[in-house]
Amino acid sequence: MRVPISWLRDYVPIEMPLDDLATRLSVSSAEVEGIERRGVPDSDGNLGRFLVGRVLEAVKHPNADRLQLCRVDVGDEEPLQIVCGAWNFGPGATVAVALAGALLPGGLELERRKVRGELSNGMILAEDEVDLGPDHTGIMVLDDSWEPGTPLADVLPIVDDVLHVEATGNRPDLLSIYGLAREVAAIYDLELAPPPGVEPEQVGDEPVDVEVEDPIGCPRYIGRLFCDVQIGPSPLWLKARLVAAGMRPISNVVDATNYAMLALGNPLHAFDFATLRGGRIVVRRASPGEKLRTLDGVVRDLTPDDLMIADAVRSVALAGIMGGEETEIGESTTEVLLEAANFEPFTIFRSSERLRLRTEGSNRWEKGVDPYLAAPAATLATQLIVELAGARWVGHTDVQGELPERAVIRYRPEHADRLIGVETPAEEQYELLDRLGFDVEDGRVVTPTWRARDVTREVDVIEEVARFRLEDVPFTLPERSAMFGSLTRGQQLRRRVEDALVGLGFVETYTPSLLPGEETTWKLEEPISVELTALRTRLLPSLVDAARRNAEVGERGIALFEIARVYLEGGELPEERLHVAGIVEGGFSRVKGVVATLYAALKTDMEVERAEDPLLHPGKAARTPAGVFGELHPSVLEGTWSAFELDLEELFQESHEPVIYEDVITYPPVKQDLAFAVDDDVPAGALVAAAREAVGPELHEIVPFDVYHGEQVGPGRKSIAFRVEFRSPERTLTDEEAAGLRQKIVDALRERFGAELRA
Amino acid sequence: MDAETYRQDALTAVERAESATELDDARVRYLGRKSELKQALREVRDRETGMALNAAREAIEEALTTRQAELERAELDRALTEDVVDVTLPGDELPLGSLHPITQVRRIVEDAFLGLGYEVRDDREVETVEYNFDKLAFAPTHPSRSHRDTFFFDDTHVLRTETSPSQIHALEEREPPIYMVSLGRVYRRDAITATRYPIFHQFEGLAVDKGLTLADLKGTLLHVMRALYGPERRVRFRTHFFPFTEPSIEPDVSCGICGGVGCRTCKWSGWIEMGGAGMVDPLVFENVGLDPEEWTGFAFGCGLERAAQLRHDIPDIRVLWEGDLRALRQF
Repeated sequence: MRVPISWLRDYVPIEMPLDDLATRLSVSSAEVEGIERRGVPDSDGNLGRFLVGRVLEAVKHPNADRLQLCRVDVGDEEPLQIVCGAWNFGPGATVAVALAGALLPGGLELERRKVRGELSNGMILAEDEVDLGPDHTGIMVLDDSWEPGTPLADVLPIVDDVLHVEATGNRPDLLSIYGLAREVAAIYDLELAPPPGVEPEQVGDEPVDVEVEDPIGCPRYIGRLFCDVQIGPSPLWLKARLVAAGMRPISNVVDATNYAMLALGNPLHAFDFATLRGGRIVVRRASPGEKLRTLDGVVRDLTPDDLMIADAVRSVALAGIMGGEETEIGESTTEVLLEAANFEPFTIFRSSERLRLRTEGSNRWEKGVDPYLAAPAATLATQLIVELAGARWVGHTDVQGELPERAVIRYRPEHADRLIGVETPAEEQYELLDRLGFDVEDGRVVTPTWRARDVTREVDVIEEVARFRLEDVPFTLPERSAMFGSLTRGQQLRRRVEDALVGLGFVETYTPSLLPGEETTWKLEEPISVELTALRTRLLPSLVDAARRNAEVGERGIALFEIARVYLEGGELPEERLHVAGIVEGGFSRVKGVVATLYAALKTDMEVERAEDPLLHPGKAARTPAGVFGELHPSVLEGTWSAFELDLEELFQESHEPVIYEDVITYPPVKQDLAFAVDDDVPAGALVAAAREAVGPELHEIVPFDVYHGEQVGPGRKSIAFRVEFRSPERTLTDEEAAGLRQKIVDALRERFGAELRA
Repeated sequence: MDAETYRQDALTAVERAESATELDDARVRYLGRKSELKQALREVRDRETGMALNAAREAIEEALTTRQAELERAELDRALTEDVVDVTLPGDELPLGSLHPITQVRRIVEDAFLGLGYEVRDDREVETVEYNFDKLAFAPTHPSRSHRDTFFFDDTHVLRTETSPSQIHALEEREPPIYMVSLGRVYRRDAITATRYPIFHQFEGLAVDKGLTLADLKGTLLHVMRALYGPERRVRFRTHFFPFTEPSIEPDVSCGICGGVGCRTCKWSGWIEMGGAGMVDPLVFENVGLDPEEWTGFAFGCGLERAAQLRHDIPDIRVLWEGDLRALRQF
């Protein structure tokens, strides 16, 4: 919401520095996102170059048909000669003048110069030249009561500051200048003016036919009828305010409704009464299949969820959101029906959401506008329509159901102290609440109507006090009766995985959890892009993409990892698993080394077998109970790459952490190297498993360290060398005992794999 | 011969030897088979002369050993002085990876809360509307419920829009007192720009105990902000609105770039928004079956991306998601 200070000043005296105002509003009421200085730059005495002038003489420029040559009194002894392109004035007109040297809002500096041979000492201003409105068809003609030479800034808001205020969703009352003035008055303890608007005299008693079929959706509908309306542009001051507040002036009647909305926070609408069939208003739900062309020219398909303003025959407005094109106020309108209603938030929210149509109106209604506000809003708009459009107010109706009673809340000031953590004397609390419009009695407060939705409980009232004490709240810590401060085993091990991979040279990356339309049940209804449409079931494809992008920009030694969720088919909700995945330049043995080190870091035994995986080389893919690893399939990424993806929970389950100490020092092991020739298709792991089975716990370690193919072992055969350690926990093994154990291995491997001992 | 003179001469010769060869010459001359001493020893007749000669021999041998060690040491020194490397050349290239900046701030936050005696948790990312909105007391008209703002899978399932459902999970899992912080990914339907990414990370804290105050919240957040940004930082509260806290506030941390006087980073306010917070709304307690007259609590949620960006001065949030090694290797 844009809040022009000149407007705010109508309701509360603004004498404090604006940055102080902005800070205190931000802390206690609504965030001020910025202060915008708009209009004429006021540095270097620039404002002094903008004056009220009176045209003494205006004749056609001798050398140009479209220009006037004027002599303008600006309060000096000598009138100024000014060349002007507008013709909407003549001698005697009071106008706005910028002198030579003046700097205009757009940055243009006026010069004394000759125009077609005649000297021009300045400019007679149109409203758009000083940011007061959009019009450039003529210059501004001012009220004749202003004396020539009066500073223009005293007459028109040619310079203004505008606060950009972002009110929270619970404060629709702050979507109005008056509502903000109330906060300012409360913060600084200032006098707040009464709400704007003085009811003019009603000069007729025409019936206003309003029927509310849906009193839930529309708890209140004030309809007012005006005749002899003269549609025309709004006066300058009104246009200037709307423009400063960010709205486009349209015509006096429409501007009056917008002005009342901005001033008080209650959106209004004006219909061309002549276009309302049967001269009546019906507030009802849309009929199935009904359509309405709204003011923006779009034909809207309606559903019975939509609350409509209709006439005797058809819908004429989308209630609270946007008017219809056919009943819009136009230049020829002479009779106006003014709507000052109240609409139920959820109804408006649902329609605005379905139709993807958010307006100044819907934005306020969906937050819950005070139904008591309709009357003052009607009053202010009525006053303006009568004053500005010369209209006669001839009819009035106020259809209302039961409006909500104001909440009466038990209030314990000491309770506020306890929750806020700082003491505020009870009388101070009550005084503050009083300034905010609460009715206050000892131990009891009554919520003002404009806060009815937000303040219903004692804790809500406490917030009202708290928000004015935030700067005084001290810094304390809870007095604890229980402590929980430690990482779980899984969290500790996760850190260990991260650290181990960093130590192995892997750079951690984060990639999106969403992928292009994968075959998964967890697809977004309305994705924002094709790249992010479905939850991923594995991490590797994202890492492959990241590796490819890095390779493309010439990175070398690429090694990436990520720890993130995958989302597997589950029950009502997907099964979310935490995975670690990595990709690295190099072949199978590289990734095997990485995975083995990871397992070692986690004190986990690694059981490996061949596996198949669409991303991996069919001959160089392996699996552990926690996941897969292997060389990347060459069609996936150019070059030699390898990768792994493991489920962390599975991984941690097998961890021996904390490790149980084993005494390997008292009785040292007997170390030997053994080499066996076997058929090519026998995996080393099978030999290791068989040896362990044959010897039992006294086989302390058996690690393959060399594989040899060649003539000495013959075709289709290979030789595998193992480093072997025998050890007993109870005694030092004798040579004979070690030889016996060794023989067990030799026998077992010969029997099961046809293995020949070579050394 | 005179043993003493001989000894003196020998020691002088040893002392003067400047190389292994000269030392060898001295050894041969004074202790060799043909040396005067050896000859004298062979010819010695009386015990007294023998003792004197042997004493001289021992002294000369000792001097030779000492001098030899000295010369060897000097030789080594000379050799090492010549064996010079260019210490400014790079060493062996050992691979070292790095933790993502978000992981780094995640750990800082976790450790700060562990220090305060909080448990660390994370909960599911796909949530029901019930846990993401209803139990957190979101009004039916709250804009977050809009399909424009939130990723829906169907009418009842969403990608969580904040880590706040963790509050409900924690409260349902066990009786208070509860002190927990939950960290993880959250999702909002924002287009990708320099300042927004539809996927981001939050940390969510919840404390439920007897007699907690807004001041306790302020002290807690001050501790965490200082852990993240340094001991000079200050914290202030601004009023705000969240469905599940009352009173609700937004915490700001003083700007580290300008120290609070105003600059581009803090949009000239001196303060940087950190997230949302407040005292647990009684409705939330009622939704999980706790008595709001008995228990009080505070809760807060902040973005980890923002923390990482501020710590490392990363101007564009996309840097955190693009996996570009040129960026990530710096951390």
